Amino acid sequence: MLSLLTVLQHADTAFPSGAFAFSNGLEGVSTLGRKIDRDALQDLVGSVLLHRWTPFDRVALARSHRAGTDLDALIAVDREVEIANVVEPLRTGSRRNAGALLAAHVRIGTPGAERLLGTIRSGGLVGHLTTVQGYLWRETGIAEGEALGISAYQTAGGLVAAAVRLGQLGAIDAQKVLAAVIPLAAEAAARSVEDWERLSSATPFMDIAVMRHARADLKLFAN
Amino acid sequence: MNSMHDTAIEATTPTGSRPAARIGIGGPVGSGKTALIEALIPVLSARGIDLAVVTNDLVTKEDAERLRRSGLIDPARVSAVEAGACPHTVIREDPTLNMAAGDELEASFPGLELLIFESGGDNLASTFSLDLVDWWIFVIDVAGGDDIPRKKGPGVLRCDLLVINKTDLAPYVGVDLDAMLAEANSARGGRPIIATNARKGAGIAEVADAIQHAVLFTP
Repeated sequence: MLSLLTVLQHADTAFPSGAFAFSNGLEGVSTLGRKIDRDALQDLVGSVLLHRWTPFDRVALARSHRAGTDLDALIAVDREVEIANVVEPLRTGSRRNAGALLAAHVRIGTPGAERLLGTIRSGGLVGHLTTVQGYLWRETGIAEGEALGISAYQTAGGLVAAAVRLGQLGAIDAQKVLAAVIPLAAEAAARSVEDWERLSSATPFMDIAVMRHARADLKLFAN
Repeated sequence: MNSMHDTAIEATTPTGSRPAARIGIGGPVGSGKTALIEALIPVLSARGIDLAVVTNDLVTKEDAERLRRSGLIDPARVSAVEAGACPHTVIREDPTLNMAAGDELEASFPGLELLIFESGGDNLASTFSLDLVDWWIFVIDVAGGDDIPRKKGPGVLRCDLLVINKTDLAPYVGVDLDAMLAEANSARGGRPIIATNARKGAGIAEVADAIQHAVLFTP
């Protein structure tokens, strides 16, 4: 029960992390002139889970979690994230979201958080979201599999919540979409990460949308 | 192996000195939050206070750009944080993006004494988390209606200082300023209120005094 409640605490949107301000491309899609209805949102979230989260975030998070206190290993995966994430608004968003999450953990007093901040400030780490999550969640006692579950859920939940705030659909329909994609998230999170796996992603529609959004004058979300 | 536990790197306050005091300025859209900051910057700077600003524009970066282009402050000392359509959340339930922006400014400008967080335009329920700020101002204006203090919104009641701005407009919008101030005083149980006309500088020295007294410990 303790591990379940710990996971719930860190997966909860009430945990201050700054994540609510990032739509990760959904606001960009919403400006293209087509309403994002239930089916469209389900397709988008499914696509992100399968083609961005699974080959990219899942691998980066697992490797960061496994690195633990091995700074060299943490630096290696963090740099790989910086290099492999070629979509600038997503790359910047990852760093900013990580900075907000870390700001919370430093103030909460999570073991290792202040040291991690010092390493980022000194330039030892770029400080991407999956790096910070992997390190801190492990320090909090969250197992790798549970960390992957939180990350997959937050990816899906964050996109769905952004769609509601953008007025694309209502909160009830949003939960229907989330329920429909949770099995996909669970299946992806349950896949073990092999040592040979490298970071990749293939979500060109969302990538273009988030880059268009970065140039917009009017926007509610950071990306 | 280079271990995170062995490394000598330590996180400290950026300068090793006392952290900057953090204050919030919130209030409804158009009440004059940005104008108040524009008026405060030269007054506080003339008093030798080293400051920076974080803005929370809701849809644009207009407030941040307005301050950056004002010539009143080094543009690098103004950060903009997006509110994700949630101006309440970014200053209260989840202020971490603002915290991180403040931390970055402190790291970039050693010796910073005062960080001002400007909320996006919001409603009377807007309040700042004391995790984010040490003390906060709520700005309303006479043109918004003299019934605002009577409505007793949490912003009006809980702020450390209530500023009633645009006093010069009172005669033109049918507001009895003295009565409005009396109602505000009654609603707040005598806690501080300052009437300002930020555009003309009226009341700004008193607001600067209040900030210094509250968080910079100047008598």
